[in-house]
Amino acid sequence: MEQILRILYNNSSFFTFAVLQLLCLYLIVNFNSPQNAIAAETASIFTGSIESATVKAEGYLNLDEENEIQRREIADLRSRLPESGYSTTVGIDSIEDQAYAQRFIHLTANVVNRSPYSPNNTLVIDRGTSQGVAIGQGVIGSKGLIGIVALPTENFSRVISVLHRSARVSAGLRNNAYGTLQWDGQDPRRMKMTDIAEYLTIAKGDTVFTTGFSNVFPTGQVIGTVESSEVQPGTGSQNLIIELINDPLHTNNAFVIRDLFKDELAKLKPLK
Amino acid sequence: MGGVDPVSNIVRFLVILFLQVFIFRQVSLGWGGADYMFIFLGPLFIALIPLRTPRPLAVIFAFLFGISVDFFYETLGVHAAAATFCGYARQFALAILEPHDGYKVKASPDGKDLSLSWWLSYLAYLVAGYTIFYFSMEAFSPVFWKQITLKSLLTAPASLLLCVIMIAFLRPRI
Repeated sequence: MEQILRILYNNSSFFTFAVLQLLCLYLIVNFNSPQNAIAAETASIFTGSIESATVKAEGYLNLDEENEIQRREIADLRSRLPESGYSTTVGIDSIEDQAYAQRFIHLTANVVNRSPYSPNNTLVIDRGTSQGVAIGQGVIGSKGLIGIVALPTENFSRVISVLHRSARVSAGLRNNAYGTLQWDGQDPRRMKMTDIAEYLTIAKGDTVFTTGFSNVFPTGQVIGTVESSEVQPGTGSQNLIIELINDPLHTNNAFVIRDLFKDELAKLKPLK
Repeated sequence: MGGVDPVSNIVRFLVILFLQVFIFRQVSLGWGGADYMFIFLGPLFIALIPLRTPRPLAVIFAFLFGISVDFFYETLGVHAAAATFCGYARQFALAILEPHDGYKVKASPDGKDLSLSWWLSYLAYLVAGYTIFYFSMEAFSPVFWKQITLKSLLTAPASLLLCVIMIAFLRPRI
């Protein structure tokens, strides 16, 4: 104790200096904005490096758990290999519309084959007429659209992707503007929406939905967001570039949609 | 004003503070929108603290001077940090420059028995310490070492010149 006091006494000027210097640092950092910014930046660099080190260490601690997750994933993928056989189980899921009468039936499906990437993409799903698939039924993913059934066989169906130059989907916006969605064969992330009246103001980032007018897709399925709009001179209409919410060419899990009212609605076709 | 008694020291404190914040604060030279040359009289006050003052007390006096300057410069803490460092470094400057027969016990650094060259080197140490520490604290990061060096190289000679001139008026006489 006496030694400590002696050291304190002998170096009293140093300790005074150190204490006052700390006080000055406190004042500098708290009352001068440029120095404050530098101090905050430096502190964040230090804490950031410590944090990344701890995250790295924790990553090693979680390795067993991660391993288990990967193993389950592999097991799941193996069960989907072609040699695991054709799945005959049919999971049927339904949504009810506002009238509480069943209208759309969702049928789970897996994409089993695809055409090579081209301006006219098609794909094959493992559901066919024996499960109730028919021409003109829509196919959606867990989000976004995939395509429209074109040729069903007993156990499989060929689907025209929405990224096919002859595919047409009725799409609309929240403000009841609606038009036709089609693909020009260029960029698989973007589609073009045509026939929107010129006087409507469309904001960038607006969500685009299915309208349900063509009885292919249920109303209100999100397709994507508006990226840009372009007025077509002389036609009174504008075209929108839509950024798709999903990647229709690389989605595996799909739902085939059957519209139970399709035949009834077909009777209301425009009079010729 | 030139004595070693407390009243003289307080008067000196106020006079140097007044000169610093009302006259030499206006003085700054630079180019390209930035100032690089300033005049600091803080080292002069610290140099003239009487020799007999206990070292911690000298540090505290230096701090008080620095924080007073800061109140007028609106850079709270920056001058105080530099002055505190300068007040601490003073004892080492004195130890380096100690004459063979030691300082006179009663004296403040006394112009009468200490030559002008002694004063020059003594002030040079303190001015250098003050300016370098000040600009380091002002920049607050070693990445600005170019500005720190440039400002210190320009400010230190100017401040030293002013301090040496002031010594002629403020040199304590016993």
